[in-house]
Amino acid sequence: MSPSSATGADALVLADATVAYGRVAALERVSGRVPAGRTVALIGPNGAGKSTLIKAILGLVPVVSGAITVLGQAPAKARREVGYVPQADTLDADFPVSVAQVVLMGRYRRIGWVRRPGAEDRAVAAAALDTVGLAHRAKERFGTLSGGQRQRVLLARAIAASPRLLLLDEPFNGVDAVSQDALLAALAKLTAGGTAVVISTHDLALAHLACDDVCLLNRHQFAFGPPAATLTPELLRATYGGAAVELGAHGVLVARP
Amino acid sequence: MSASLGTLLTVPFERPYLTRALIELLLLGGVAGIVGVFVLLRRLAFLADALTHTVFPGVVIGFLVSGQHGIFPGALVIGCLTATLFTGLAATRRVAEDATLAILLTGFFAVGVVLVSRRSSYTSDLTAFLFGRVLTVSDGDIVTTAVVTGAVVVLLAALRKELLLVAFDPQAAQAAGYRVIALDLALNLSIALVVVAAVRAVGTVLVIALIVVPAAAARLLSDRLLVVTVLAAVFGMASGWIGLLVSYQVSVDHGIRLATGATVVLVLVAGYLLALAATAARARSRRTAPDALAGSATRPALAGEATGPAAPSAPEAPARAAPRGPVR
Amino acid sequence: MRYRGDVRSSPAPDNPGRRARGGRLTAAVLGLAVTLALTACGSSGGGSEARAGGKLRVVATTTQAGDFSRVIGGGLVTVTQLIKPNVDPHDYEPSPADLNALASADVLVVNGAGLESWLDDAVSASGFEGTRVVMADGVSLREGTGAEAGKPDPHIWHDPRNARIMVSDIEKGFAAADPADAPVFGRNLAGYLTALDALDRRDAAEIATIPARQRLLVTNHDAFGYYTARYGLTYVGSIIPSFDTSAELSGKAIQNIVTKIRATGVKAVFSESSLPPKTADAIGQEAGVAVIAGENSLYADSLGPAGSAGATYLNAEEHNTDVIVKALR
Repeated sequence: MSPSSATGADALVLADATVAYGRVAALERVSGRVPAGRTVALIGPNGAGKSTLIKAILGLVPVVSGAITVLGQAPAKARREVGYVPQADTLDADFPVSVAQVVLMGRYRRIGWVRRPGAEDRAVAAAALDTVGLAHRAKERFGTLSGGQRQRVLLARAIAASPRLLLLDEPFNGVDAVSQDALLAALAKLTAGGTAVVISTHDLALAHLACDDVCLLNRHQFAFGPPAATLTPELLRATYGGAAVELGAHGVLVARP
Repeated sequence: MSASLGTLLTVPFERPYLTRALIELLLLGGVAGIVGVFVLLRRLAFLADALTHTVFPGVVIGFLVSGQHGIFPGALVIGCLTATLFTGLAATRRVAEDATLAILLTGFFAVGVVLVSRRSSYTSDLTAFLFGRVLTVSDGDIVTTAVVTGAVVVLLAALRKELLLVAFDPQAAQAAGYRVIALDLALNLSIALVVVAAVRAVGTVLVIALIVVPAAAARLLSDRLLVVTVLAAVFGMASGWIGLLVSYQVSVDHGIRLATGATVVLVLVAGYLLALAATAARARSRRTAPDALAGSATRPALAGEATGPAAPSAPEAPARAAPRGPVR
Repeated sequence: MRYRGDVRSSPAPDNPGRRARGGRLTAAVLGLAVTLALTACGSSGGGSEARAGGKLRVVATTTQAGDFSRVIGGGLVTVTQLIKPNVDPHDYEPSPADLNALASADVLVVNGAGLESWLDDAVSASGFEGTRVVMADGVSLREGTGAEAGKPDPHIWHDPRNARIMVSDIEKGFAAADPADAPVFGRNLAGYLTALDALDRRDAAEIATIPARQRLLVTNHDAFGYYTARYGLTYVGSIIPSFDTSAELSGKAIQNIVTKIRATGVKAVFSESSLPPKTADAIGQEAGVAVIAGENSLYADSLGPAGSAGATYLNAEEHNTDVIVKALR
C-alpha cells in the first residue's frame, strides 16, 4: 500500500463535469477526486468517453457544465505538470527516431522554444528510461521495440517531464506480460513520489490489482470508488449495457467490452 | 573532348553563367533536401505537390503585372496564401483532405494556364515557369534565393524539435500544449518558400522532385534523423551539380539539348534507385550472414525490414512472474 | 498504487555528443556558395582571345540573320546560328553550347523588334561583350494586328526594301568589328543589294498578274504584314489570330474566319512551313477553298533547312511569291 503524498492537495477534482464536442455531450456529470499519489482506473466500453475525459483533463475538450480542476487550476493552465501517455500503436513504426530521442521529447516544454536539450535534460531522460527498465535500448530505433516496450518508452517520455498528474490512455492494450510488469512498477514508483495517476483500461483484473479507485463510465458515470465497491457484477452490467459479465475462477470479474 | 571526373569538378568555374547556375542549384538542392525530410516525416508530399501547382498562377500574375521582376513577389504572395489555406483546411478535416487538395490544385493551375495563354509567346513563358531556366539566373536571383533559403533553414532549425514531435506524435504534442496548427503552418510556409525560390531555376513542376526524392533516398540509407537530414541536403546539392554538368557537357560536346531542370530530376531519380539497390543488397547480405543477437544496440533496422518485437533480452527478466490472478 | 515489484535494467553507456550540427554543415555550404558567387562576379565573360583562324566569330539568332551574315561575311566569318530552321523564334531557350558561343562571339546579329524576348537574359548570362547588330535598326515598323496590337510586327524581312536595311546594318557591324576586312564586306553587300532589288522587281511583277479582286491572303498567322503592304495584297485574316504558333482557336474565331473567307471569295488558304497544316485544312474544308500546305507551304517565320526550296532568304522569298501567285491567279 503506497503512502499518500505529503501535500494532501487533490491532483484532480471532477465536480459534476459534463464534457461536449460542440453540441453533443460526450460525457455527462462525472464526479470524483484523485488525491496526490493515488491511482484511478477509468473503466467502460469503447466509446464510453474515457478518452474524451482524458482530453478534457488536458484542457483539449471543453467542459460545458460543472468543473474540472487540475492541480488546483483550470485544465489548460496546469498542462505543464500533467503527463499524457497515448497508445503506442498509433505511432509510425518506421519513424527514424531513437528511444532516447522519444524520451527526450518529454522535456521539450521545459526546454522551451529554439533552445537545444542540455546535459540535465539528457540526464533526466536517461533516468526516466531507466525507471521503465529500457535504458539499454536507448540508442535503438523506436520502431524496433515490441508494442509493450514502446508503451514503456512513452511512459518514460511522460515521466521525464516530472508530472504531478499522469494520464494514460489504455496503456495495457496488447502489451506483453513483461512490459506490463515494467509499466506497473514504474507507475508504483511515481505514485510513491506523489504523482496522481489516471488510467483508462479494459482490464478489470489490473484495475483491481493496481488502482486505489475505479470510475465506471459509459457516457455518464455509474460509480466512483474503491474496486471492491465498484467492480461488482450489477454495476459492471449496468456500465457495459448488458455485455457478457462472468465470474472467473478466483472471483475476478471479466467483462468483454 | 569527353569529360573526366576532374573536369566535372572544375568546369562550372570556367564559365560565369555556369557558376551562377551551380550556386543556385546548390542553394536550392540543400534547402529542398532539408525541407523534404520534414515533408517525409509529416507525410506532406501530396500537399507539397499541391503547393507547386497553386504557386503557378501567382507566377503568371506576377509576370503579367511586372514582367520578370514580378514573378517572385507574385509567387510569394500566392504561395503563402495557399499554404495558410491548406493548413486551415487540414485542421478542419471536414472534407477528405486529398480530394480538397486535388480540387484546389487543379483549379489554381488551370487559372494560371488560362491567364498565361492570353499572351503571345506563351509557350516559352509556360516552359520557363514549369521547368525553369537555370542557365540565365542573374546575381539578383541568387541573392533572392539565398535570402529565402536562409530564412527557411533558420526557421526549421529553430523549430526542429517541435516539428519532430508534431510529426511523430501529434496527440502528445497537443497534450503538451503545443498548437499543432501553428507548427503545421510554419512547415507549410517553409515548403511554399522553397517552391517559390525554385521557380526560376527548376520550375514549379520539377521542384517537387527536389523536395521529395533526396529525403526519400536518405531515409533508405539511414535510420538516424540527423544523418538523414544531412544526407538529404548533400544528395540534393550533388544532384544539382551533376545534373547541371551532364546537361552542359552533352550540349557542348554532342550538340544535344538536355533541359537542365529535367536532367537534375533524372539524376535525383537515378540516385534514389542506387540507394534502393544498396539497401536491397545490404538486406540480402545481412540475411545470409548469421545474425548477431537481436537487440544489439549498434544495428539499425532497415526500412522495409519487418519491425516487430526484438527477441526478449535477458536483462529484462522481471523479478517475479506476471500475476494475472488477484493479489491480496 | 498497490503493486510493488522490481524491474532490473542494465545500465546503458550513454553517448552524448554525437552532434556534428546539421545546421553548421549547411552554414558551411552556404559560406562556400557565397565565396563562389563572389568569385564568379569578379571574373568576366567574353572572349578576348585571338580570333579562331583569323575569322570573325558571329552569332546570329534567326535563320534570316544567319543567312544574311553568311552572305555579307563570306569566308571571313564563322557563323553560329542559334535558331535552327523550322523552330519558332518565340519559343527558344538557349543551350549551354549557345551560351558558350555567345560568350566568345565578336558580333551578335539579332532581328530585334521584339522577336527574341529571351535574348537579353541569355546575353547577360553569357557575358557577351562584342558588337551587337540589330537588323531592325532603321526599319520603319508597322503595328501588329489582333492580339499583338500595340506591339511592333517583327517579321520585317518579307519586304526586300527592309532586307536592304537589315544587311546594311550587318555590314556596318562587321566593318566596325573587323575594319581590316571592311572592303570585302562592302563588296558582298553591294552584290547582295543588287540581288535584293532584282527580287523586289520580280515579286512585284508576279503579283501584278493576279486579278485585283483575288489579291487576298489567308495564312496561319500575321507574318506577312510587310509583304502584303509592299505588294498590294490584302490580308483577310490569320487562321491563328495571334503570334503564338501553338494556341488553339476558339470555335467562334474559326467561324469568323470562315465567314470572312466566304465573304471575300478568296481561292486559297496558305499554311506555313513551320506549322502543322491540320488547322489550315480544317478551315479550308469548312470554307470550301484550296489549302496550300506541306511541301508547298510558305516560309513565314523561318527559312527552310539546307537543301530545301527555302534554304536561303532569296530562295524562300521567291518560293513564297511563286506559291501565292500560282494559287491565287
